[in-house]
Amino acid sequence: MNLQILLIIAFGGALATYALAKISSVLRNLCAVLASGLLVVLIGGMYGSDAAGAWLPSFLGLPLVLQMNSLSWLFAITISIIGFLSIIFSISYIKGKESTDFYFLMMLIVTAGMLGVVLSGDLISFYIFWEIMSWSTFLLISYNKGAALAAAMKYIIMSIAGSVLMLMGMLTIYTSCGSVVLTEIAGSAAGMSTGEAILLLIVFSVAFGIKNAAFPLHTWLPGAHAEAPAPFSAVLSGVLIKVGTYGFILFIYVIGGGKFIFSLGAGGINVRFILCVLAAVTILVPSFIAVLQDDAKRLLAWSSIAQAGYILLGIMFGTTLGFTGGVLHFVNHALFKALLFFAVGAVEYRTGTRDLNSLGGLIKKMPMTFAVLLVGVCGLIGVPVTNGFVSKWLIYKTLILEQSPFLAFVALLGTWGTILYSYKLIHNIFFGQLPQEHRNIKEVPVTMRVPMIALSVAVVLFGVMPGIPLKAVNAVAHFAGAGALDVNLWGVVSETGTVNLMNILAGILAVGIIVWIVFKAGAGSVPVSQEDNYAAGAAVPAGKYTYTVDFYSSLTRIIRPFLRDVMDEFYFWCAGRIKALCAGARRIYTGDVGNYVVYIVIFAALLVILQIWRSPW
Amino acid sequence: MVNPVLLIAIPLGLAFIVPLIAFVSRRLVKFVPVAGMIFNLVISISLLPSALREPVVISIGGFPPPLCINLVAGPLALLFTSLIALVGLFVSVYALSYIKTGAIEKYHILYLLLLTGATGAVLTGDIFNLFVFYEILCISSYALVAYLGDKNGTEAAIKYLIQGSVASGLILLGIAFVYGLFGTLNMAQIAQNINASNMSPALFTALVLLVTGFGVEAAVFPLNAWLPDAHSSAPSSISAVLSGIAIKIGVYAVARVVFTIFGASSMFMLLVILGLVTLLIGEMSAFSQDNIKRMLAYSSVGQIGLIVFAFGLATIHGISGGLFIVISHALAKSVLFLTAGYMIYRAGSMDISALEGMGRRMPATCLAFTIGVFSLVGLPPFAGFPGKFMVVRAALERQEIIFIVLIAIVLAGTVIEGAYFFRVVQALYFKGDRVREHAGKAEAPFIALVPVYVFVILVLFLGLCPHAATSVLDAAAAELLERLAYIKGVLG
Repeated sequence: MNLQILLIIAFGGALATYALAKISSVLRNLCAVLASGLLVVLIGGMYGSDAAGAWLPSFLGLPLVLQMNSLSWLFAITISIIGFLSIIFSISYIKGKESTDFYFLMMLIVTAGMLGVVLSGDLISFYIFWEIMSWSTFLLISYNKGAALAAAMKYIIMSIAGSVLMLMGMLTIYTSCGSVVLTEIAGSAAGMSTGEAILLLIVFSVAFGIKNAAFPLHTWLPGAHAEAPAPFSAVLSGVLIKVGTYGFILFIYVIGGGKFIFSLGAGGINVRFILCVLAAVTILVPSFIAVLQDDAKRLLAWSSIAQAGYILLGIMFGTTLGFTGGVLHFVNHALFKALLFFAVGAVEYRTGTRDLNSLGGLIKKMPMTFAVLLVGVCGLIGVPVTNGFVSKWLIYKTLILEQSPFLAFVALLGTWGTILYSYKLIHNIFFGQLPQEHRNIKEVPVTMRVPMIALSVAVVLFGVMPGIPLKAVNAVAHFAGAGALDVNLWGVVSETGTVNLMNILAGILAVGIIVWIVFKAGAGSVPVSQEDNYAAGAAVPAGKYTYTVDFYSSLTRIIRPFLRDVMDEFYFWCAGRIKALCAGARRIYTGDVGNYVVYIVIFAALLVILQIWRSPW
Repeated sequence: MVNPVLLIAIPLGLAFIVPLIAFVSRRLVKFVPVAGMIFNLVISISLLPSALREPVVISIGGFPPPLCINLVAGPLALLFTSLIALVGLFVSVYALSYIKTGAIEKYHILYLLLLTGATGAVLTGDIFNLFVFYEILCISSYALVAYLGDKNGTEAAIKYLIQGSVASGLILLGIAFVYGLFGTLNMAQIAQNINASNMSPALFTALVLLVTGFGVEAAVFPLNAWLPDAHSSAPSSISAVLSGIAIKIGVYAVARVVFTIFGASSMFMLLVILGLVTLLIGEMSAFSQDNIKRMLAYSSVGQIGLIVFAFGLATIHGISGGLFIVISHALAKSVLFLTAGYMIYRAGSMDISALEGMGRRMPATCLAFTIGVFSLVGLPPFAGFPGKFMVVRAALERQEIIFIVLIAIVLAGTVIEGAYFFRVVQALYFKGDRVREHAGKAEAPFIALVPVYVFVILVLFLGLCPHAATSVLDAAAAELLERLAYIKGVLG
């Protein structure tokens, strides 16, 4: 099928939605859901296809082509599914807010931009869609006003800085290879000089690292994720930052010709090692910064940085097992992190707050949201029979097999942090006392429940039958030249260790049944009020005793001094210097016309004097 | 074939007929520039195909040069006349509703003269004639900057006048040197006499005087101090023409002098450095502005820097990239000034903070403004992107470390540009809950939105199909680079 159709539906659907919004909001919602749903169906149907075709005649004599291969397909399907579900989630979430038409337009354009990036068959298209994605993201982050404005500015400035570097990198490739088409430049980095390859590596790493929020370029992410509207946070965290991961795969494995880039370096320190260490730092520090957060979405945002670190670590390791684990973790993370942002968004939708210190006890009020959040958190931690387990298992396995004890230790420490903040998240929202003002809240409307349920089913399904995503991931690994694993529906088979989720599932079910029987056999429980429970029957004034405030206080007191976001402080310092410099530059224009005339005369005189003195001209 | 002299004669004639028309009906006056510019646009575009084959050379009065003045309508000149007519036409449509008070006939006379000067300056093949048209352009700009008659406008106009006069003096002196050396004012004949590799001190002084003099109008640092005041105090329609066209004529004149007349390849690096410094100073000054029109004016300085940088690369790709930015900047900056004009009118202040929440009051105007901003920052799919792309490509194609470093600095300037422009976009759409929420919609009048949206459509079109312009741009770039071909084309 023609790939142009996908772009026409994606961008045309966005414009049609905006146009229909002028008639009625129901038509608008319908159009948005249909357009994004159609994309899922069409892209799903392209599984395994290998197509290419121009989408515009040319751009300054360079071809603009789209392509579909296993790598593009995996990213495209993930993007379109998350985009589709967040559109459904938005219908109720956004109702009653202002400029909702604009919101839907931008949501669809962001999705279209991301699809464009992963479907691009040449660097120019890649850049065009990349930038469309960037500016529409900027507008969407700004949507919530207030604190969101500063977050959006931070995002767009870092994004422009990254993209101008990317433009330089792309044109360097163009000038040395004479082509921008991916299939023609594949592997071309191997033919470049070391200096050129290093330059390319740096500019692309910065460009993709910013989007991927890899340390030390992550500073835009916490604010942006926290302040964006919740459905968009899901897109942002689930797929948008992974477009940076796509870029890394594209550059290192496709353009870099397999492992050429990794081998650059001298004296035992090669590029692969540096990138792995950066990925490890990206896992470790943000995992614990997340523990300190009191804003549910900011907690998830830091968690996204850390999880993106796992993905990068797997991909940068470059072995078959590692690459597969990294890419699989991308798919898994998209699912459970979107789910978590939806769930937190649902809580915010009902309670109007996402402050973990003032929430609590919602388990009885929003049981379904609790259930899906629990599933999501299990996926995030990597509890067996949820999807996160398989990908993390593959990554740990890689680190251990390749004899990187330190990296493995860091990855495990990161998971420890993950458990801590995940528990904090679920505890502070759903357990403990229900604050007085939240006594009357209800479960969220059905359009918000559907995407959450769909995602939690997927999280469990992919956890029990990892063979479903692994098949597609295997094709990607094969395409990228990283080899392929031997997988079946229930798990991974290999000589160094087999994981079979069928056995684990059976074990868990058996234990579950035993526990259930034991509990049933014991005495029946007597429900008492929560205050009784905490105060052992003594009278406690209602609403005064809040169990969730300052969670983990003794731990945070110890670790907080070590966990400053130094990079953020550094960038702010730089921005301050630049601002001062700009204010200084303005003083050249003194306002006195006498000075201005002197400038003119001096300029002319200087040129003549220089000529007489050194004759440069 | 149509005679290119009509491109000058018609608007000039119309300028002088305006008082007579005003005598008949004052309401007709404002349509005169529209008519004149439609005519110029049609003629320029109809001349383009033949000019692409070989330049149309017209000797006024039928004498051969050096006795007469000749017009050289090559691809470069016609590119500029088309752009002048295009921007001039739609800005005059905008002025139909925007210019309501003051000496209306005088506005339209001066407006036509400004465009005549610009058109004449790019068409002429005679250096003294270039000076004359350049002066027509400048003098009408001085007057138009002071059109509103307020303190700021008058002060800015006088400062502009003083600096402009110094510049004119330098140019005249430079022309005198050249005439003294070669006894001719015809550009092609002068060029024939000059051997760039072996320049006498007198000739070099002439070159410096001419570059400095034209550099003032081109707003190259440090000669651009008049620009922020002048562009921000003028009525918005005039700011659009000044930023969109007038300063580009200065760049054209500098390029003509350096490339065609002197062939001074040793000056190219100077242009690169000047462009870079101009870009950085412009963007940095714009960054700390609170006044929207001053911000736009400084941003024009930045863009001029980028254009001069691109010209200094002195390759086909570089110069055609520079010319592409000439076009894209003219369109985008016109959009910005024209929309800002009505936003300021509605808000009653030029402060960016006064424009908060305008996105809800003037949605169509603000949408156009935002697209203009995206284009200037160089985001696809708008016209600024291909321009930036071409310049970066040209710089990297030089394959020298120094150019990689320089283009990296240029791109750093782009980041600053993004920072201050996106701040304004946020102010328009996402700030100001408290501000005049109840004031209701107050869209700019339809007749003012028409030209704005014509520019917006062109910005989008050029952003997606830049190759529509490249054949003309490459021919124009070749005209500048291939000096001998120009001399041969003019002198036969």
